[in-house]
Amino acid sequence: MEPAEVEFLAEKELVTIVPNFSLDRIHLIGGDLGPFNPGLPVEVPVWLAINLKQRQKCRLIPPEWMDVGKLEEIRDQERKEDTFTPMPSPYYMELTKLLLNYASDNIPKADEIRTLVKDTWDTRMAKLRLSADSFVRQQEAHAKLDNLTLMEINTTGTFLTQALDHMYKLRTNLQPGESAHSQDF
Amino acid sequence: MFVSDCRREFYDVIVTQRVLLLVASDVDALCACKILQALFQCDHVQYTLVPVSGWQELETAFLEHKDQFKYFVLINCGANVDLLEILQPEEDTFFFVCDSHRPINVVNVYNDTQIKLLVKQDDDLDVPAYDDIFRDEEEEEEDSENESEGSEPSDKRRRFEEDVIERTMRRRQRREWEARRREILFDYEQYEYHGTSSAMVMFDLAWVMSKDLNDMLWWAIVGLTDQWVQDKITQMKYVTDVGALQRHVSRHNHRNEDEEHGLSIDCTRIAFDYDLRLALYQHWSLYESLCNTSYTSARLKLWSVQGQKRLQEFLADMGLPLKQVKQKFHSMDMSLKENLREMIEESANKFGMKDLRVQTFSIHFGFKNKFSASDIVYATTSLMENIEKEGPETTNFIKALDSLSRGNLDKLHQGLDLAKKQLRAIQQTVASCICTNLVISQGPFLYCSLMEGTPDVKLFSKPVSLCLLSKNLLKSFVCSTKNKRCKLLPLIMAAPMDVEQGTVIMVGIPPETESSDKKNFFGRAFEKAADSTGSRTLHNHFDMSIIELKTEDRSKFLDALISLLS
Repeated sequence: MEPAEVEFLAEKELVTIVPNFSLDRIHLIGGDLGPFNPGLPVEVPVWLAINLKQRQKCRLIPPEWMDVGKLEEIRDQERKEDTFTPMPSPYYMELTKLLLNYASDNIPKADEIRTLVKDTWDTRMAKLRLSADSFVRQQEAHAKLDNLTLMEINTTGTFLTQALDHMYKLRTNLQPGESAHSQDF
Repeated sequence: MFVSDCRREFYDVIVTQRVLLLVASDVDALCACKILQALFQCDHVQYTLVPVSGWQELETAFLEHKDQFKYFVLINCGANVDLLEILQPEEDTFFFVCDSHRPINVVNVYNDTQIKLLVKQDDDLDVPAYDDIFRDEEEEEEDSENESEGSEPSDKRRRFEEDVIERTMRRRQRREWEARRREILFDYEQYEYHGTSSAMVMFDLAWVMSKDLNDMLWWAIVGLTDQWVQDKITQMKYVTDVGALQRHVSRHNHRNEDEEHGLSIDCTRIAFDYDLRLALYQHWSLYESLCNTSYTSARLKLWSVQGQKRLQEFLADMGLPLKQVKQKFHSMDMSLKENLREMIEESANKFGMKDLRVQTFSIHFGFKNKFSASDIVYATTSLMENIEKEGPETTNFIKALDSLSRGNLDKLHQGLDLAKKQLRAIQQTVASCICTNLVISQGPFLYCSLMEGTPDVKLFSKPVSLCLLSKNLLKSFVCSTKNKRCKLLPLIMAAPMDVEQGTVIMVGIPPETESSDKKNFFGRAFEKAADSTGSRTLHNHFDMSIIELKTEDRSKFLDALISLLS
């Protein structure tokens, strides 16, 4: 999957906005949205929120996990544990990027939030690399990683599977007689 | 007709239509265009943008598009001529004109249906009253019909005599009225000047609709600063408009002082500055900036050896070492930069430069990017008048338009480099003109003509660059000459425009005085002189005081002007 595709999927997540126009319920293929009343918060998917924000028709309210205190806790937790800790949203990286790019004036302390999320991401990527490295070295058959988000899987996915393919080919050529392990990916 | 409620009578009308935007080629128009484009994008309005640099292009664009569009928006063009006569539109086309050129043509003011003027009413417009200019044509016809009626001979004769007396009285009244009308119109249209910047008018529209953003405010500021840089408005008007914009700036940017809830560093921040008047000084070295700003180079007389010595004295007076001053401003010592503005102001007062600081604004986004409004004006002007042709005619315009957006910093930096070249070329040309006494007094005005082989003369074949050069030249000349009478004369400047076709571009600017009201009478004067001598001239520019004419006709044109104005 391309990162752009993952971001596209992330845009389906719901976020709260405060519109400044009024509109009745709209019926879309994915579900119903609205009604929109000026000054009253309503939940919409991120793609619509960004579009309305660019047209100056709403104000975005950051999700509750996008707060300096909470993110500091999450980052410290991540650094302590060896395995992956659960993330506040399966699309935390994409949402941070989208909201901070287009609506940074609605998000308090946007710069610190950006730094904290990046720190958490770096820690998790380091753990992922370590785990992939040990997986390949010890020629394991299975691995189970909890609490990974789609974006993180996507960064290593292609590389890891191709590397393991190569390893398999090299191994089967070394030991022609033995029945090769069938590794399901 | 003046539009009283911009939102209802202009925006709400075009929001559901396809619109053609005709935009003139100056920075104020570009800024107004950007603001309007941003508003259109919010509401998904379909529009076509056509840049125009003169009346001919305006007419061609109109003829090309008149079948597809019913609504035309003209920015910084079209207010000072009779639009209906020039364009001959259909009954159901509407023109919205947002123009800072004055005086507004009376036909445009009193047309109720097709022409709507987006102009602030509190500008001192002094439009003549309707009855003084227009008169019903029906009264004429009654006169001629009365002549043929009559019944009995004696009655007929008496009535005939009465009729004759009545008719002569009416004719005399009519002649008096016409004479008065000509006088009123002559007074009204004699002087050209500029009103409120179109970018500010567009920003007011956005504000009324509550869709104003910091970015749009910045464009309004750049539009106003363009009028100031090109000397189009009086100092009073500039200060008043700066005050109005300052209220908006504090409304949008008050959050920056609060540490707790400050905005992200990437957000646009605008700040009011009482900054130095030196052109591009933060992107150049202080020394270069002092040499190439017209204000300082004119007052210090930097074209002479004496002047160079005075510059060294000035720098020594402030305690700035030459080595520091000649390197890039960013690399100057922090200790020197801290009190720079106050130091320069103090020393400048001693050297006769009392207004070295001016009220302006600066924008700040990201960690590196800080620009003052006049920097942007110079950069955008040079991009727009770039003589290196890189494709079809409109690429320069589009590039200049793009450079105003925050995301296109590379174009902005390119513009800054071009602006530095332009300022240097202007200074060198001014210095050579003054040293070789090229500015001659012709009686009612001063005249200067650039020769073919002058270095950088191609840069001055564009109207805005030539205007900047002429204003600088006049300022420097006024400081250099001892002749009291010459100091009060206006200046006409001529530069070769197209060598193959043998044309020359000529610009007339008003005299340089402390409290000048920037009113320019050369527009009408050029027209009259061209008529009386039959010279082949082209009054193509929206500013009537800029014309093109054939080189051969130049001398007889000038003679006609001299006799007209003396």
